[in-house]
Amino acid sequence: MCVLNSDQLEPGMILAGPILMKNGMVLFGKGTELTEAYIERIRSMTLNGISIVERAPLYESREQLLEKLEARFRPVGQQPYMKMLKRLVEERILECDEQEKKEDSRGKSE
Amino acid sequence: MVPVPDNPTDIRILRHRIEKIDMLPTISGVVRRLTKVIGNPKTSLHEISSFISSDPALTSRILKMVNSAVFGFPGRISSVTHALTLLGLDAVRSLLMGVTVLELMQTVMVGLREHSVGCAVAARSIAEIKGLKNLEEVSVAGLLHDIGKVIFLLEFPKDYRTVMEEAEQKEILVMEAEKARFSETHAAAGQWLAEKLFFPGKLTDMIAFHHKPGLARSAPLETAIVHLADILVRALGFGYAGDAFVPAVSPVAFELLDLKERDIREVLKSIENVRASGEDLFW
Repeated sequence: MCVLNSDQLEPGMILAGPILMKNGMVLFGKGTELTEAYIERIRSMTLNGISIVERAPLYESREQLLEKLEARFRPVGQQPYMKMLKRLVEERILECDEQEKKEDSRGKSE
Repeated sequence: MVPVPDNPTDIRILRHRIEKIDMLPTISGVVRRLTKVIGNPKTSLHEISSFISSDPALTSRILKMVNSAVFGFPGRISSVTHALTLLGLDAVRSLLMGVTVLELMQTVMVGLREHSVGCAVAARSIAEIKGLKNLEEVSVAGLLHDIGKVIFLLEFPKDYRTVMEEAEQKEILVMEAEKARFSETHAAAGQWLAEKLFFPGKLTDMIAFHHKPGLARSAPLETAIVHLADILVRALGFGYAGDAFVPAVSPVAFELLDLKERDIREVLKSIENVRASGEDLFW
């Protein structure tokens, strides 16, 4: 973990702790992966002393995606129709993951 | 006059403030400008058109929005007058509120704007599948369905943080935690504002009952659409609406919509397309 100033931030970095606004609202939660747009927002507020854990891979792994999906449905998985919706969402997530991999490998071979 | 209670987190105070609108300090600055125009049901097409055109930033935001996936006129609408002709007065009136609130959203909860845009696109996609004529109505409702959360977050930031923590600890929905703390939910707060601003009855229904679509009276089908859109966007993990998990779908609403599996696949794809393009989210 390291502490950085807002001008040292790069997309893909992960926050080690939440960034809070003056009123106590969480602006970005712990574990948020920074994007260009988020960094711009942080810079516009000139925050310093931001703790970063590590850089994230460009895409989340299939396992991570499915694990998160599992967590999102856990309390409601047994409700009517939710199993079916979860299955369809899972299919969609896997399909997107396949597509991204294909595009990645195409990009590399070129 | 009914005495107003002193406890600032009392929901009656919030309701009173919403109904006065000038008493919502943050929202009122934004809305004050708009209220004259959108808060008056008698405003003419011409008045709205010149109001929007007099503000370049607002014009550009409106045009970007109507030309985005949310409204499905990619690059075809080049002027405010054109937008008004195509979308109609009611849609543009509520759209004015929509683009303004979207801007507020990202300052109060990261991801709420993405959630709302995703919901608008999903709702439109479902409405298209169901063969609805007025797609703009559900798009705008998708953008505005969580407007009550914005009001709560602006008015009671500390309490709302407690509400969110409570929801996380008890593994309940934020909506249920809202009810426990404020005795009303963001859906009710959204309804008060919608009524105050004379939103069309159908839009008010969709905002008020997006979590309880069975209670919708003037737009049961459209409300079921926004209800399901909200759930599908969360299911995909697109944006953030304050909850760690997806709310359960109302079986009655789901059966009313009577979608095939391939329909739902199509809706999910439309949400993914917005995520992939990313362009509509940060303007």
